[in-house]
Amino acid sequence: MNRTDQLLEVPGGSERPGASAAVLTFSPAASEDGITHEDIDRAWDRLAVDRARRAGGHRSLLHRLRPLWLLVGPGILVFLGENDAPSMLSYAATGAKYGIGFFLPFVLVTFLAGFVVQEMTVRLGAVTHRGHAELIFDRFGRFWGRFAMGDLILGNFLTLVTEFIGVRAGLGFFGVPPLVAVGGAMLLVCGAILTSRYWTWERMALGLAVFNGLFVPAALLAHPQWRAVGQSLITWSPLPKDGLFTPDVMLLIMSNIGATVTPWMLFFQQSAVVDKGLQPGDIRAGRVDTLIGTIVAAVFGMAVIVATAPLFAHGINASDFEAAQFAEALQPHIGRVGATLFALGIFEAGLLAAITISTSSAYAFGEVLHRPRSLNRPVGEGRAFYAVLVLSACAAGAVVLIPNAPLTYIVLIVNVIAVLAMPPALLFLVLLLNDRELMGEHVNGWWANLGAVTITVLLILAGVGYGLVTVFPALLGGK
Amino acid sequence: MQHAHNRFGNGELDSAIARGEAEAVLALLEPDQLVAAKERTRFGRRRLSRGVRALLWGLRLYVLFMVALVLFQVIQAVQGAGH
Repeated sequence: MNRTDQLLEVPGGSERPGASAAVLTFSPAASEDGITHEDIDRAWDRLAVDRARRAGGHRSLLHRLRPLWLLVGPGILVFLGENDAPSMLSYAATGAKYGIGFFLPFVLVTFLAGFVVQEMTVRLGAVTHRGHAELIFDRFGRFWGRFAMGDLILGNFLTLVTEFIGVRAGLGFFGVPPLVAVGGAMLLVCGAILTSRYWTWERMALGLAVFNGLFVPAALLAHPQWRAVGQSLITWSPLPKDGLFTPDVMLLIMSNIGATVTPWMLFFQQSAVVDKGLQPGDIRAGRVDTLIGTIVAAVFGMAVIVATAPLFAHGINASDFEAAQFAEALQPHIGRVGATLFALGIFEAGLLAAITISTSSAYAFGEVLHRPRSLNRPVGEGRAFYAVLVLSACAAGAVVLIPNAPLTYIVLIVNVIAVLAMPPALLFLVLLLNDRELMGEHVNGWWANLGAVTITVLLILAGVGYGLVTVFPALLGGK
Repeated sequence: MQHAHNRFGNGELDSAIARGEAEAVLALLEPDQLVAAKERTRFGRRRLSRGVRALLWGLRLYVLFMVALVLFQVIQAVQGAGH
């Protein structure tokens, strides 16, 4: 479908014969007035991509990779942003409690599911040039839109609180006071947006995301038994000793799923794809970007399980561990360097996610209220957008500093709530991707629909299973 | 993209973009990527079938019920820790 023939609703516009009653004709001529700073910045980004593609005829590998280098970002950021503090703590708890076994391939499979879902947001953003929240409100109406936004706002705020918990705990290992740690992180979140340029913000965040890899040397310092790692990836064993259907195991299953597949990822990646200016011709690069993010984040996530496996091997009870305690408990087993890397990794995980999740909230807010919503906007032009971004981060950080706040419980339930909120979010996503009026030739193929429906059903089953073992622990053979 | 390079020389295109010339910007962006276009246009409401509405309601009730269950569990855990 030619984008200039795309049917869009224009107040007072003319009706095109044969079109559905809900859509009207869009006139390209109407777009030539009112070029904004945001449009110009986006045009610069597109020009760079265009020039890189033209120059790609050179034999040099660097020249051929440059277009991809320019187009990657949203996919890598969303997955490394999702390797956030509660996710890494969930993996740490998993490794400490069950060692190297069932959960290692399980986590890998959750990332594959995440790829299937996130790939769809690339197509949706590149074809419609609209954010996820905006499309839900436009196509499904305010009633359903408010439900979707409610899930996002609640989930994002709780998750942001846990990110600052991670920041506080990670830097707490080095004796940094909570006020300094949390305040410093808030300043960094605010500082990241001062560039008023999506490209710069993205590259800074990607630079920070590299440090998510600190868990890999920490895992290597744990001197894992590689044969056990390989065996677990192939055979999914050993299983947890009390079986899969116990409250503790189901909580970790839910928590690990929620560490990879969460609603904010849908909203963030689609909005970032739109802000970056991707077009239908860039979908392939967007898929590669998402795949790179998936693989890298999966490796880093599994590294955390391997890094904390020594706690399981030495019979250390980590059930009530908070974030900083993992690093301290690991020190005798992986050394001061390893523990330092682990603590820094938790700090990075919290900080990067604080940046991406607060941005996701700001994008959704702007889309729903039709306010300016781009990191290409100067602060003065996007006051509401930046205010939501900053205030959501500051509010979450403030909660972490409240004395005696039940932070441990928030960390435990945030991933669970993310899993529970995912099925409705996936339904909206699948409906939008099967909407020919929106997607034209880029509508979902049968394989994508099968993948999405399978993931949705499995998420619901996981949620129901968690509910059942929580209320009736003996029902599914658990203890 | 080819149109942009036909219409403008290399240096001219850069200058035209910097000046915010509509033709240069539109040569690189799709019309509905422009901020003004997005502000003026919306995708219309789609008609939801009965089945889809039932699914939406079913999943919504599932979420509400499960969140209540989780909150109940948290309250129990907090009260248990307090004793």
